[in-house]
Amino acid sequence: MSHFDIERPIVKLPEQQPEQQIPDEELVWTDEEQERIEERKSKYPDPKSAIMDLLWMAQEKYGYLPPEAIRLCANTLDMDYARAYGVATFYTQYYKEEKGKFVLDVCTCFSCQMMGGYDILHYLEEKLGIHKGETTDDGMFTVEEVECLGCCGSAPMMQVTNGPYVHNLTKDKVDTLLDDLKDGKMPPFVSVTLPQDEDEMGGNRRSDVEATETYQTPPRSEAVK
Amino acid sequence: MELTNGATKAGDWRNYERVLLPPIRDLHKLEVYENEANGYNRLRDVLENDDWTPESVTNEVKTSNLRGRGGAGFPTGLKWSFMPEPDDRPRYLACNADESEPGTFKDRQIMEYNPHLMFEGILIAGYAMQLDACYVYIRGEYADWIRHMEAQLQKAYDKGYVGDNIMGTDFSMDIVLHKGAGAYICGEETSLMESLEGKRGYPRYKPPFPAQKGLWASPTTINNVETLAHAPLIIENGGEWFANTGAEAHPGPILYGISGHVNRPGVYEYPTGMLITDLIDEVAQGVIDDKGIKAVVPGGCSVPPLRGDGIDGVTMDSESLQEAGSMLGTGGMLILDEDTDMVSYLRRVTHFYQHESCGQCTPCREGTGWLERIVTRIDEGEGNMRDLDLLLDLCDQMEGRTICAFADAAAWPVRNTVKRFREDFEAKCKPSVHPTGADLSAAGATAA
Repeated sequence: MSHFDIERPIVKLPEQQPEQQIPDEELVWTDEEQERIEERKSKYPDPKSAIMDLLWMAQEKYGYLPPEAIRLCANTLDMDYARAYGVATFYTQYYKEEKGKFVLDVCTCFSCQMMGGYDILHYLEEKLGIHKGETTDDGMFTVEEVECLGCCGSAPMMQVTNGPYVHNLTKDKVDTLLDDLKDGKMPPFVSVTLPQDEDEMGGNRRSDVEATETYQTPPRSEAVK
Repeated sequence: MELTNGATKAGDWRNYERVLLPPIRDLHKLEVYENEANGYNRLRDVLENDDWTPESVTNEVKTSNLRGRGGAGFPTGLKWSFMPEPDDRPRYLACNADESEPGTFKDRQIMEYNPHLMFEGILIAGYAMQLDACYVYIRGEYADWIRHMEAQLQKAYDKGYVGDNIMGTDFSMDIVLHKGAGAYICGEETSLMESLEGKRGYPRYKPPFPAQKGLWASPTTINNVETLAHAPLIIENGGEWFANTGAEAHPGPILYGISGHVNRPGVYEYPTGMLITDLIDEVAQGVIDDKGIKAVVPGGCSVPPLRGDGIDGVTMDSESLQEAGSMLGTGGMLILDEDTDMVSYLRRVTHFYQHESCGQCTPCREGTGWLERIVTRIDEGEGNMRDLDLLLDLCDQMEGRTICAFADAAAWPVRNTVKRFREDFEAKCKPSVHPTGADLSAAGATAA
């Protein structure tokens, strides 16, 4: 079975004249957002440099970035739409199309690959009945295969909608995660304990986090070659 | 270099006491950092003690022989001294917290467990180079840690450690956290600057070098998180201390990220120059199920993998690894056990580069795609023996022919995996057939 779909384009180009998804009256910033924009603009010598922050804000507001949302960001910073569009399409974390309520980014980069990242990805695909890159019919879940998320010691792992990391995945853990998400419960922030801290301090050094985990390798039955 | 009896350049590493991540509960909190870790006193010393001038701080870092921990291993003191004399332009530091090299997960530990050490390092670097602001470029995936750092940075601002007239002196410096949005290439220094300026992350031509014309055309230095976190320790303990820790050619404490088929993966702080075998057998408690080692990737996905039978006596420093045919890179080690299929490993690695190439230069944009397609072809049993040479030829066409080092980083693992694990690849290729129909793989089929 092929792990990779190299035929699929990396960036889906919009149609020639995409229909506007967000009505004009919603394409405005609230006062609070306006304040945040001014604050971010003031951090850079060139206010246009705040475009990445604005795109993040727009994505949080609308869920994804249709052309009109990108245009709003561009207009706010008085820059060309083409330039803002160029930025939005360069970075993979900006969603150019509508996604599910929860986006499950499964890391399969080499450490995760070795520890069973593809097992997890295929299990999710099978369980949700979709391929990677697709969204379930009820609009709840999108499954994606992503590059290294910088958590190689607790592989395999995934990230939920550009937010919390879920470490040391097993099939059971995926089941629990999906059930929790269906109940609207996002996974908590998990602090992964350093092995030397375990030895020298008897556990995680942070007292202000609820959830901690250790770096571990998955049970052999879970791992794949 | 002959090393016997487990003696390493790292010295008595079993009794090593951590300095980057010392075992102090809640060290990330400002008051704990101040009270228990001598926090911000190194900065105070640098600012208030007349013995410290920008030159002497830079010289101390030069004495320490600190080499960048982001992958390239460039001497940090030398990099700092490249900054031109102050003129009417603002001067910047860009702190590279993009950490997206596969196999690397060490900088996040500093950001989570000891963020103030990093801020203090930034400010000391800022004093040494007389800078106006530092932009910390953090990858967008680290959203939780960005929030964590924002909160800690605000506390440092409130306390007067960052901002205008730090500690009542005439030194002022701002620190700004910038959230990326998922692009491996933005860990490349010029691409990082483009991204900070709010553009597509296309690397720039050098020259002009960042010290001449960097962020917003002003003098800029780019340093990795771990590199900057060393600065307060060097000021406190002296450059000599640092230079005498670990391997001589690449000294200091370092964070090793160990992942893959080992019993106890994770980030470990030890001096440089550790034997790879010690790191695997003792620190990471051996390979899962006591299997043999097929390969070790010593410094992130871009460095050439070493054969498992060639790691005896190799130590984790630039000198020894170069001799062994690899590089220290980021110190993110991946251990692969004897059952690993190196073709499938390389297939994933080439996929990574194909996905992450920014597309600016043709040899890289097209080359990474071809690499992936050829390796995929071999992996699926459709490859020919000559594909192996085609891969090596393709690497020749990519290396050194692009603006940044991405194409080289994509070519090195391919070239060396094919060379060092050729038997894995040949086993998956179709047998070579001579135009006359003779089977060339049969014994004695030479120059018929």
